[in-house]
Amino acid sequence: MSSFSHKIDEWMKEAEARPASAITIVKLIARRLRELTERNEELLSENIALQNGTRVEEYQKRISHLEYQLDLLKRRFGADESLLAELPVNPAETSSLSLLAYNIYGRILRIEVEADARSLGRIADETLATGEQPRLLAIPSNEEVLLLFTSGRVSTCAVADIATMEVGSAWSWEQAALPDEPRAGEMLACIAPLTHLPLSEFFLQVSRRGCVKKTMTSMAQSILGNHYLGKSTLQKSDQPFDVTLCQKKDLFAVVTIEGHLLGLDVDALPYSAEERIRLTATDYVIGSFVPRSDQSMLFVTQTGKVIQRDSANLELSKSGLAKGQALIPPARLGQGVRFIGAASVQEQDRIVALDATGSLNVHLAEALTGAGSIEAGGLILSIGVIPAEVQR
Amino acid sequence: MSIKVGIDFGTSNSGVAVYDGQYVKLLPVDPKNVLPEVIKTVLYITRDYRTSIGQEAVENYYRDNVNRHRHYVKQWAGEIDVYGADMHYVRDVFVYVDELKPGRLLQYLKTALRKESYTGTQVFERYFTVGDLAKTYLSLLKQRAEDILREPIHSVTLGRPVKFSESPEQDRKAQEILRQAAHEAGFHEVDFELEPIAAALDYEQSIPKPQNVVIFDFGGGTLDIAVMRLGDPRKREVYASGGVDIAGSDFDRTIIEKRMLPHFGLGQVKHHPEILEMIQAIPDWMALPELGTPINKNILEKAIQAGTAPIQVRSLQGLIYNDLAFTFYNRVEAGKIALSKDGATIVSLEDKDIALWELYTRHQFETDIQHYLVDVEKVLLDTIAKSGLDPAEIDAVVKTGGSSNIPLFTEMLGRIFGTEKVRESNSFTSVVAGLAIKAYTVG
Repeated sequence: MSSFSHKIDEWMKEAEARPASAITIVKLIARRLRELTERNEELLSENIALQNGTRVEEYQKRISHLEYQLDLLKRRFGADESLLAELPVNPAETSSLSLLAYNIYGRILRIEVEADARSLGRIADETLATGEQPRLLAIPSNEEVLLLFTSGRVSTCAVADIATMEVGSAWSWEQAALPDEPRAGEMLACIAPLTHLPLSEFFLQVSRRGCVKKTMTSMAQSILGNHYLGKSTLQKSDQPFDVTLCQKKDLFAVVTIEGHLLGLDVDALPYSAEERIRLTATDYVIGSFVPRSDQSMLFVTQTGKVIQRDSANLELSKSGLAKGQALIPPARLGQGVRFIGAASVQEQDRIVALDATGSLNVHLAEALTGAGSIEAGGLILSIGVIPAEVQR
Repeated sequence: MSIKVGIDFGTSNSGVAVYDGQYVKLLPVDPKNVLPEVIKTVLYITRDYRTSIGQEAVENYYRDNVNRHRHYVKQWAGEIDVYGADMHYVRDVFVYVDELKPGRLLQYLKTALRKESYTGTQVFERYFTVGDLAKTYLSLLKQRAEDILREPIHSVTLGRPVKFSESPEQDRKAQEILRQAAHEAGFHEVDFELEPIAAALDYEQSIPKPQNVVIFDFGGGTLDIAVMRLGDPRKREVYASGGVDIAGSDFDRTIIEKRMLPHFGLGQVKHHPEILEMIQAIPDWMALPELGTPINKNILEKAIQAGTAPIQVRSLQGLIYNDLAFTFYNRVEAGKIALSKDGATIVSLEDKDIALWELYTRHQFETDIQHYLVDVEKVLLDTIAKSGLDPAEIDAVVKTGGSSNIPLFTEMLGRIFGTEKVRESNSFTSVVAGLAIKAYTVG
């Protein structure tokens, strides 16, 4: 205390020597006082939370959440508690890789992909080119996936529980598994990997009309228990498009059919659905992903043209409602060029492309970006990415 | 066709300039800096020996080091022969090395030239002599200048203080190390000019008739004084020169010693010689990261658990283990610079485990550095006396270097020579501009 009094005496001497300094000193002390007052209020509210048990409840919830995540991990590794200590260091290495091709009716075709496979087989379906296009997801066979329906309902399903199709043959949707049949009036919006849930902070949803919403994964137990995540839409005509697990510090890219790319800072995104991309009446979202700094962004048109952009080129949207970067020149847009898929890829990743003939072919990302196009028997309908680290 | 440049290899900041006979062009060698013509004299060397200088070095250092993980491994360093009356045994010596350390940031490269006891430093597997460090910095600086000029540079006029050292032998050795480093950096022709004289050449361009001028070059590492006759380049004469090893870095150290150490436990930690040693090492920011060993962490943890000034010791731990020494030094320096303009400033450092806040006034600063004022005034008056001139015969006093802006020294100059004679010059670029002019006339 005496040293502090000494300091005050020294400040006073400065004020006496240079009266103008007195104003500066008072301003600096006032600013500090305000900071300390704010901090004091934070500590007081923390104290109240500790005293009335709110904080205890919060920690209990967090513990429950962690227990749930542990359960998920146990299910993934197929181990009980006594076996957890003996788990192999990298069990993913022993797992095979599955490609899920799914449609809006909840039908899922699971194909086990070999490391050197080039052609996987064919979906024999006449409505392929006319109806809602199927989507593709590559995922290790021992993982769990989240099914999001257009009503906002969610359910989980182990990949291993979905029957596999024979590689190289022709399959029909009637043969496909139906792990959770859509209820009346709803459709399957997307399937998302769930394994990284314990390491993620948010579920990030995006709708066809560019509404985004994030939900804390600490609520996962309640969400999955109640089978409801929400639609993340504002208009009746809008539908959920995708859900991604991400971290607070991540960036998020949204791509539309008419070639607009919008970069968003996850930390700045709202917890309630908000329209973030200004779309024309004919435009809608066809891709969303978390770009990584060591990867590049890949965009594919319906004719198989491949456009590559460095992740560093993603411009973050500064306004609440933005148009995004236009990647398709107006002339090409007028000629009917449209994006059908987009993803964040590394050179060694493999891309699975589904074309209008129903064929599923695998291409090395490096080769695609080098050639600038995907060779296919017809128009490209959908793409999926097999990450290099999962292949290994 | 090769071009000749002037390089001010300063203790804190450096610069490159070129003169075409009419105009001096200061090269923007550090586009990331607030003043692109001024580049910090810092060198960052990564584990795989990639090097960077200036603001880029600082940014790389921050990116790689702050709040990073550490992993110490015990490494055999050598052995010690122990002799007793009737016995002799050999003992192995081990050191703890942080195997995740990504790189080293080296500052005060010029000060290293002046120290007889300092010959170099170990950077991971390789030993860098003082000359190697200077060479690395100068070659990167040369490369940047060549990129701007789009021409090869083979000749340079380097600035040097009036005295690198009080010892003539060490002074000569320091200049030779710098000359050799410049040669190895790719300069075929290297000559030197005293920094205060270089500063005078810049001033000379602005005066219409000959004058007796005192150049008061007070930078980051040394104070250099020159008493000269200027105005007619053919009759330019140096009456006397002098200098002393007092400058900006000494003031920073004084502020830390007198005002900051209590925040890290000085005065409250007693009977813990190891902790006191760590506290006393704070002013030496280059030594501080070396203290981050597991043994020291254990000592600090135990003291915190035992309730020995826990907040202050936790701050000390944060400063050492979160690699905040460089940030802390910059904050102190920024506070000092602010006091050249304002009567009071805040020196603060907020990070994990640290909440340092200190209101520091000019009065406190002037009290803290009062003993330096006495030394500086003595050197100044001695140099004037050596020149055979009386202070009244001095027509102008040209201040240059960041520390010359400290009001206490400006007032001193005004008191001795008269305030109307004290001239401001560009604190950071007048020396390099003069060196460029010298390079042109010699070349």
